[in-house]
Amino acid sequence: MKTGETAVELIDVRKTYRVGEPVHALDGVSLEVPRGSYTAIMGPSGSGKSTLMNLVGCLDTPTEGEVVVGGREVGSLGDRERTRLRGTEVGFVFQTFNLMPRLNAVENVALPQLFQGVGRAERRERARKLLERVGLADREEHLPNELSGGQRQRVALARALVNDPAIVLADEPSGNLDTDTEAEILDLFDEFHEGGTTMLVVTHERHVAERADRIVHLLDGKIERIEELDGGSTTDESGTEAST
Amino acid sequence: MRPLEFLRLSWRSIRGHKLRSSLTTLGVIIGVAAVIAFVTLGASLQAGIIGDISPDDQRNLYGWAAEPDAEGGPLAGAQPVFSQHDLEELSDREDVEAAYGYATIQTQAISNGDEQVPQGDGLIAAGPSYIREDDLREGRQFEMNESEAVINPAAAEQFEENVTVGDELTLTILGGQQTTVTVVGITDTSEGLSPFEGFETAPRVYVPTDPFYAEQAAGLGFGGDGGDQARYLAIVVEAESADDRAVERARESATSYLQSEQSDASDLLGDDLEVRLQTSTELLQQLQDVLDLLQNFIVGIAAISLLVGSIGIANIMLVSVTERTREIGIMKAVGAQNRDVLGLFLSEAVILGTVGAIFGTAVGLLAGYLGAWYIDLPLVYPYEYVALAIVVGVVVGILSGLYPAWRAARTDPIDALRYE
Repeated sequence: MKTGETAVELIDVRKTYRVGEPVHALDGVSLEVPRGSYTAIMGPSGSGKSTLMNLVGCLDTPTEGEVVVGGREVGSLGDRERTRLRGTEVGFVFQTFNLMPRLNAVENVALPQLFQGVGRAERRERARKLLERVGLADREEHLPNELSGGQRQRVALARALVNDPAIVLADEPSGNLDTDTEAEILDLFDEFHEGGTTMLVVTHERHVAERADRIVHLLDGKIERIEELDGGSTTDESGTEAST
Repeated sequence: MRPLEFLRLSWRSIRGHKLRSSLTTLGVIIGVAAVIAFVTLGASLQAGIIGDISPDDQRNLYGWAAEPDAEGGPLAGAQPVFSQHDLEELSDREDVEAAYGYATIQTQAISNGDEQVPQGDGLIAAGPSYIREDDLREGRQFEMNESEAVINPAAAEQFEENVTVGDELTLTILGGQQTTVTVVGITDTSEGLSPFEGFETAPRVYVPTDPFYAEQAAGLGFGGDGGDQARYLAIVVEAESADDRAVERARESATSYLQSEQSDASDLLGDDLEVRLQTSTELLQQLQDVLDLLQNFIVGIAAISLLVGSIGIANIMLVSVTERTREIGIMKAVGAQNRDVLGLFLSEAVILGTVGAIFGTAVGLLAGYLGAWYIDLPLVYPYEYVALAIVVGVVVGILSGLYPAWRAARTDPIDALRYE
């Protein structure tokens, strides 16, 4: 696990898109994500969720303000360094899984390490271990189209964790899953969170967000409020049914 | 990321689209196969011809008189201008070892005892040294003024009972006149012995110009009543050695004599004809030039095919980049650098080009082999072209893959991940 207090920090971040009239996707957002925390981001469409994700995921740079990931300020980095930071400090889990269709489960999990120059044998070993941890030890050589949605998302989660990142970013991770599978995946998130992984989940579903320690509500590019949840991820399964 | 990893991943993508990839490489395969096949054939053809020039042949100058602008192979536009007297004078000159006439005599048939085979040409009259010692499998050269002949294996074997040294053959000259010769030697090859004959395999009988051509020429009215008046279309002038300078001296010496007032030939040369004296190599050079021209033409067509092939690769790579936008996004999200994405797509194009070149080479060599076998040539594989073909494959891959790979590399991951 990485040392240090803060996994990700946003300091007065603005992101302005210029499509004719300037649009402030994020307008002065400051947020600290401590290491080992579990944060959910909620908000309606256009509230700036995706922009926040892209910034934290080192896919984009802020127009103003600072985004610090794994101790480094993203805006000051060149493209190559930013890519490197993304590869080592951020793990992505997407709604649509986004696995490489022609790579099998082990190869998909090992992919981020391939780009870090890790040797083949070492990659496979690490990938196997992670697949075992997400419960797919018997699916190693399967291609994504031979796996169910839940299994694919497990592979994606294993892939997100393979470089031991500062933060795992999940964008609507259960959006394409049925209720039972969703619960399984979220349980897995809890499990890794308990193991010390920092989680940041973007969702518009209350019961998904409630797995977190706190919920950050975004509205019109600003943080509307931060809702601290006591018990956080320890909320039991029935708790997902009740709202608020 | 290591090169081997690029290749492994790229190979995976290519295998993912077998039909598409095969069709894409087809352009390169056809182009490379065409080049290799024709280069193999050309090299084999060349070896088949050049291989027939023995080192001893290098000292021979083959001469004829023709209009300066006559074009074509040996004897093109040749006129009978050289007299026996000229040849004797030439033989006596310094720098010239020997000079003799060369002529083919039209025949109707050759008989060996009771057995007669029809033969229209292939009776060649020349000087004794036309048959070189090392061309003889058995026996000896014929001698001038004798009814002697040297035959080649094809001529010997056309009778039910093979002709051997010492046998007598009856030649029926066109017009019905018959003459008998004693076989004194058999050559070791059935191919032509000089550029005058051509190099194809055929039955041939070699006899001394005197008496055979002299009589024949008289019969046809070439040169008046006596053998001495016979004029030759073609002559062979032997230099003292195969050394380039010796050959050059012989050429100058012979040319200056033939064009001088002293020669009989000069009377007939007039202003219209000029004497040409060329070595086998020089004569073959003309053939070589034609071959080269043909080969360049084919290589040109093949180059167009390769160009089309690389456009095909470029096109399919562009489609592939668009198709895999999302994959590019994923790779970038998980830490792929631009150069990694560039390398992946580039190596895919290079694999397509190289595989195309390898298959093309195999197909080309096979076609060249079959072609050489069909027209009965010694097979020569142009290995340097095989290496070149592979290099061309790699280069075609790089050139056609560069732009698509660059497009892939600069894809924005945010857009790419959203791409449906």
